Amino acid sequence: MKLWGITLAGLIVSGALVWPRCGVVARWRRARQLTERSQREDVLKHVLKCRANGTQPTLESIAGTLQISTGQAADVLQELESHGLLSYEGEALLLKPAGLEMALHIVRAHRLWESYLAEQTGVSEAEWHRRAERQEHLLTPREADALAAQLGHPRYDPHGDIIPETPGDLVAEKGQPLQAVPANTPVLITHIEDEPETIYAQLCAQGLRPGMRAFVIEKSAQRIRFWADGNEHVLAPVLANNLTVTLLPEYKTEDLAEEEFLSGLRTGQRAKVLGLSPACRGAERRRLLDLGFVAGTAVEVEMVSPAGDPTAYRVRGTVIALRREQSGLIRIATEEAVTA
Amino acid sequence: MNANAPTVASADDILQAAIRLRREISGDLHEHVVEAIYADAARIADRAMTRPGEKSRPTFDRRLDRVLTSRVWGFPIMIAMFALMFWITIAGANVPSGWLANLLVDQLWPMLRTGANGLGFPWWLTGFLVDGVYLATAWVISVMLPPMAIFFPMFTLLEDFGYLPRVAFNLDRLFKKSGAHGKQAMTTMMGFGCNAAGVVATRIIDSPRERLIAIVTNNFALCNGRWPTQILVASLFLGSLVPAHLAGLVSAGAVVSVALLGVFFTFLVAWALSRTVLKGEVSSFSLELPPYRPPQLWQTLYTSLIDRTMIVLWRAVVFAAPAGAVIWLSANLKIGDLSVAQHLVHLLDPMGIFIGLNGVILLAYVVAIPANEIVVPTILMLTVLMTGSAEVGHGAGVMFELDSDASTKSLLEAGGWTVLTAVNLMLFSLLHNPCSTTIYTIYKETGSARWTALATLLPIGLGFLVTFLVTFVWRLF
Repeated sequence: MKLWGITLAGLIVSGALVWPRCGVVARWRRARQLTERSQREDVLKHVLKCRANGTQPTLESIAGTLQISTGQAADVLQELESHGLLSYEGEALLLKPAGLEMALHIVRAHRLWESYLAEQTGVSEAEWHRRAERQEHLLTPREADALAAQLGHPRYDPHGDIIPETPGDLVAEKGQPLQAVPANTPVLITHIEDEPETIYAQLCAQGLRPGMRAFVIEKSAQRIRFWADGNEHVLAPVLANNLTVTLLPEYKTEDLAEEEFLSGLRTGQRAKVLGLSPACRGAERRRLLDLGFVAGTAVEVEMVSPAGDPTAYRVRGTVIALRREQSGLIRIATEEAVTA
Repeated sequence: MNANAPTVASADDILQAAIRLRREISGDLHEHVVEAIYADAARIADRAMTRPGEKSRPTFDRRLDRVLTSRVWGFPIMIAMFALMFWITIAGANVPSGWLANLLVDQLWPMLRTGANGLGFPWWLTGFLVDGVYLATAWVISVMLPPMAIFFPMFTLLEDFGYLPRVAFNLDRLFKKSGAHGKQAMTTMMGFGCNAAGVVATRIIDSPRERLIAIVTNNFALCNGRWPTQILVASLFLGSLVPAHLAGLVSAGAVVSVALLGVFFTFLVAWALSRTVLKGEVSSFSLELPPYRPPQLWQTLYTSLIDRTMIVLWRAVVFAAPAGAVIWLSANLKIGDLSVAQHLVHLLDPMGIFIGLNGVILLAYVVAIPANEIVVPTILMLTVLMTGSAEVGHGAGVMFELDSDASTKSLLEAGGWTVLTAVNLMLFSLLHNPCSTTIYTIYKETGSARWTALATLLPIGLGFLVTFLVTFVWRLF
């Protein structure tokens, strides 16, 4: 009886350990394989990004990006070389065609997944990058294609990066850091670097998004003060370095400073919608578009809730209540005072 | 390429051209399409339509809105409106409930028993069918039907008139703080009538995250089936603690406190959910304020009676009938010397006493999952079964209520009830799993076993926690 019990317990324990596919050993092996594959893919990605940005990948930069030792990084490089994905030309690391394709797929999967999180889920912005870092290794090229189709073949990810196509190449990031721009020059924020995470989270918290129009008010060694979409922002230079901008020669600084948003509209005023801020995306954006908040629509304040928020607006013959966070994302131009 | 000469482009060329053109479009393609559609529609409408005179809404609407959403009058009008609605429901339902109970329980039930005996049914078949299935169904109908038939039409009239969206508009800020939607004010209100109907009503919330919050927290609105339990227990055990002239005030205050505690839990749980499990769900806010229109009285009465009242009632009956059978069987099937119910009560007693209740109450809540209305009758029947007092009740497995409060109280005290038991029962009645009709409705509405399980288990988990804490603190003093 006792012997039976021990045998049975032994069988159950060893079964749980070595069972094919769902045993502890098999799971551990799979997790290890995934980690190794992820490391290889991350190295390829790093080399590709360096190539696009015109810098030279080194053993140290690889080890730093992947947070592994240089010895481990060397092992990974050797393995990639033996698989015919990478080659050395003197000191320089070069991607072979197969390696390039794999690296492009990883970048594409990452940026598609971020787009998916931004457009079709309510996952908060600060988590997009971390989740995409994991998902990029799990999506197959076919799944990535299906995802792209489902999203309507987006060209840019939510950070403003171009989503690469396979076959193709990674396009270098255009523009310059916000810091490099002289004061009082209108610019368009094209990209917000999502690494390192802590800095990105701070930029997100300030409400900064690609697509916003901005200009620098004043710069000093300690801080940079600038205007972006109706608000003044103050950032330390190390943070501002992660904002990439391009010049907007067709705009004047005064236009940007006088930009108005629906949240600022007073009772009795009438305005025309200019468009939605890029910070408004996904289901929220589609909903506002459906309700008629498109360029050219006339709006006016109908009434304000006794609690102070939301406010009801008159749009195309209906009355729609919006919360302040939403009405702050709708660009308007005030027309004339309506006599009540 | 010669522009005049017809050229035959290969499919590949066309695709390449399409990809190239696509890259030239700046911004979001979908947005351009939406804008173009609106611009076209506006142009066509402007050409075809003339808008004579004043374009804005009728001034009556504006004036009414000024009052109903004003800083001074907005909230008082709202509170007065709902207090009136509840008063009409509770006061108005008493009389027809009494009639129905008289007809179905006092008149028809003995007739059915005599009839069954006359037809020569064996005792167990009569007990099973008449005392079990029929009596539970009759009970649910007589308690549930009148309040719902009064509450739902009034609610629908207000909805039709256009007042309820204004309530959502007034209260949105409160709900926003806990991550919910202002329209949840309406579904919670509906939940005070019936949670199943409240869950169905969440369809008006079009944002997925806020809708799930409204569904999961609807059970914290004290429904019609639970008000009578609250009122009975409060007046028996809490009202009697103070001098007679204060008794009514204290027991009414206790019931209102429990209902407000439910509202508090609604906000608390909504807040917690929107920051944890529901974080990744899609969220968007919009609230349309339609123009006021005169409600269509007869149509409203018809649809609210058929669509809301009858459907909910039918589901309740479908679930109550088997529950009656289970209750009767558990009290009459014997294992050894004791009935199944007695075994179960003994089994549940340690846990029940641990959280300041008892085995009888827990078993009553298990068998009364189909309908909260039969909790009190089941508790009374089980208490008689356990204490063996033969002078009240109608035998094993037969639910009953007593005419006099004093005798109900003495029966319960014989079953070991104290003030602590009463307080905990009131709390547990607020915080326990939704009735099976509601659970089924949640499953139908969410289509997900996961959210259904959460909506079912979360309140009962909270119930155990809260009653345990109350008991713990109580026993310290």
